Amino acid sequence: MRSGLEPAGAPGRLWLDLIRLRRRVWIPIGALLLVGLVALGLSSDDLALLDSLGVIFMYVVLTQAWNVLGGYGGYMNFGMAAFFGVGAYTTAVIGHDWSVSPVLATAAAGLASGLFALVVGIPTLRLRGAYFAIATLIVTFAVELVALNAPFTQGSLGIYLKVLPLSPLQTEQLFYFVFLGLMLAATAIVFLIERSHFGWALVAVREDENAAEVLGVRTTRVKILALVLGAVMAGIVGGIYSYRVLYIEPAGTFTIDTSLNVVLMAVLGGAGFWQGPLIGAPVIMAVGDVLRVAVANEVNRLIFGVVLVAVALFAPNGVMGFLRGVRGRRFTI
Amino acid sequence: MRVAAPELRAEGLEAGYYAGQSVLRGVDLRAAPGRLTVILGPNGAGKSTALRVLAGLLPPAAGRVLVDGRDVTRVPAHRRAELGIAFLPQGRSVFGALTVHQNLELGGWTLRRRRPELELALEAAYQRYPKLRPLRDRPAGSLSGGQQRLVEVARMMIADPRLILIDEPSAGLAPNLTREVYDELARLRAEGRTVLLVDQNVRAAVEIADYVFTLESGRNQLEGSRERFEPELEALIRAWLRV
Amino acid sequence: MLSLLLQAVVDGILLGLIYTIMALGLSLILGVLGVINVAHSVFIMLGSFFALGLLTFLHLDPAVAFVLSTPVFFLAGAAVYRLLIQRVQRAPATIGILVLFGLMVVVETAGILLWTTDTRVITVGYSNLRLSAGPVTVNGARLVAAGLSLLATAGAYGFLKRTLTGRAVLAMADNRDAASVLGMDVGRLSMLIFGLGIAAAGAGGVAIGMTFPFAPQDHIQWLAWAFLIVIVGGLGRVESTLLGGLVIGLVQTLAGALLPFSWVFLLMYVLLLVLLIVRGQGLAGAQRREL
Repeated sequence: MRSGLEPAGAPGRLWLDLIRLRRRVWIPIGALLLVGLVALGLSSDDLALLDSLGVIFMYVVLTQAWNVLGGYGGYMNFGMAAFFGVGAYTTAVIGHDWSVSPVLATAAAGLASGLFALVVGIPTLRLRGAYFAIATLIVTFAVELVALNAPFTQGSLGIYLKVLPLSPLQTEQLFYFVFLGLMLAATAIVFLIERSHFGWALVAVREDENAAEVLGVRTTRVKILALVLGAVMAGIVGGIYSYRVLYIEPAGTFTIDTSLNVVLMAVLGGAGFWQGPLIGAPVIMAVGDVLRVAVANEVNRLIFGVVLVAVALFAPNGVMGFLRGVRGRRFTI
Repeated sequence: MRVAAPELRAEGLEAGYYAGQSVLRGVDLRAAPGRLTVILGPNGAGKSTALRVLAGLLPPAAGRVLVDGRDVTRVPAHRRAELGIAFLPQGRSVFGALTVHQNLELGGWTLRRRRPELELALEAAYQRYPKLRPLRDRPAGSLSGGQQRLVEVARMMIADPRLILIDEPSAGLAPNLTREVYDELARLRAEGRTVLLVDQNVRAAVEIADYVFTLESGRNQLEGSRERFEPELEALIRAWLRV
Repeated sequence: MLSLLLQAVVDGILLGLIYTIMALGLSLILGVLGVINVAHSVFIMLGSFFALGLLTFLHLDPAVAFVLSTPVFFLAGAAVYRLLIQRVQRAPATIGILVLFGLMVVVETAGILLWTTDTRVITVGYSNLRLSAGPVTVNGARLVAAGLSLLATAGAYGFLKRTLTGRAVLAMADNRDAASVLGMDVGRLSMLIFGLGIAAAGAGGVAIGMTFPFAPQDHIQWLAWAFLIVIVGGLGRVESTLLGGLVIGLVQTLAGALLPFSWVFLLMYVLLLVLLIVRGQGLAGAQRREL
């Protein structure tokens, strides 16, 4: 991943210089994009487009959630689907008949996912990254088993949620703006984390965990906090997802596709950069949309798996890493 | 049949463990054939790193390593044993899970297809280091520090190396054992092998040295024969402690 | 009550032997190379389908498949090492983890495409055979699978302890640099042990396939079990993995005798969680070289 050391110098072409000009160029461009997205949401009646964009926004949030511990902290989480799914099931179980307000249910979803992250994180984050990675795989599997067998989840029958009292267009617009807002919030949070002491501590863990401990960083605590934060974000998004799809069942909710997509988006965009998910999510979603028209879902997954291996081997720093001219690879001793 | 001891030269070595951070910044060294050369220097000077580059464990970012004029810079570590090069790393390096005899046997890895020769070399090792015989079937990890060091030395000698690189031979050993170690090193030199030694034990090392190099912050500082160095030892050590 | 316990103990031992070969690959690769093979369980899954394929198309008994799987999976493992693992050994650990996860996804998905998500079983003549000795009854297939597993485990032990090359592998695990300078090609030896680890996983897959129903997407279950065995028994040594395997096998069957079926699985996962908290430090020591 990103080495954290000085950039070796990006290719000096004009348009890349433009990219590195950052604030001067990107703030107006970003603002323009945002205004454009808002205008689109208010004026468009293309349901499919609003839906697609909404999904992209949702994935940006999930990828930012992954980014905190995965990108900045260097701890790979292959089980985002589990945290997402815990959130989805929470709102489905307690909010399916609207006896609890959706806002409250969604908050509960975030809380449930956060608590779940504590249960998973405390035993597994005291170990090094690869053990945690395996644990996230196992956890997803286990949670799906629980969802299939627990009394309150209706097992494989799934849970149906009451439809929203809105027109199809209004429904799409609602979720569009909700996810857009959450995307901005999540990105802002990661942006701030990058500049905070917490962010520094995470990067220290990633670069040299032993040295970080010697320096006094409470590495386990930092890691757990990062996981919980990401889990809460994923849980909230998962909770809203229930209201979106109106039917939750174990296989679709805990599918490995969610976990794979998030990892791929993060790595491709550039893990450890707040801009990474903003690049990775649209690209992967677009590719996925094209593929899904042509081939079966599993073939899509297979291709994404190959892409992940290729990116990890040949461009592990992703798009942002390339743009920032990050080269340095640590020699292992 | 004894082959003439080789000359080892390093030219302009630059090396490090992390991209952008060099531990060695252009180091030149020479171990004259059949002589015992010592590398001294304060902590962090790059002495161990230099030895690791010479042993083939760390590829240098720049510079060359030459054995008898032949460029071996890119030869991987496991091929250097065939060239008659041996390396005794810092700290414990016994194969703890294996017995003493199995450790020695692996020392003869390059002889593994010539079993009779290997058996002779093993027997020669027990004769040269008789203290190992009663420990033959003990797991190497269960031995004391001094015993482990003996196993490491004996293991290194199985293949009858002509060029020997040693990093801190007496580190962590009791004083009486230290004496034995340096006696053995002197014996190695007396047998006509080329020895290159990195050491913190300045006095003992210089005592048996033919030639001395000093490194500081990854660069050459001083060099010269033992006679030149002995009077300056005190001043040198004091200077390093201040670093 | 006593006969019930005795039955559980016998079942546990048989299961434990099967679990040992199933987990051995993960243990050896981790202990010797410091690599956590995230993709370990997909090779188990492939082993099961390998046996099924040989039975369905060539009418070969799974015991034959068990033996044949060894060279096949060894080559596969060596190839994976050469193409992927070796490339990432000098890179930060996270890259290797990503590559192995990607590999896992690719193999699992290929399995689903080839064989669908349907659950399969391997049924042969002795699958429903029941042998009795006193109060204890043993399933024929399980007995054969356990016997083969024991043989394979003994073979691995014999290789590592009693051959020079095997001892070179153990030496490399102890001190890679020292082994290297003595002339051992650690790259070649690493490929060898990785190949052996995958071969063990494949053979384990055959044994698992003879004992349990299987499907491409369910392999994570075995990753969890293998992980559990490695935590309990310790890693890198055949003996430790055997100990871990037997313990887990016994825990599962004894729990199964005392608790309702679905609770057993929950118990195992809770056990995993607890052990991670308790034995975490022991694992941390193993990652001298993170990939």
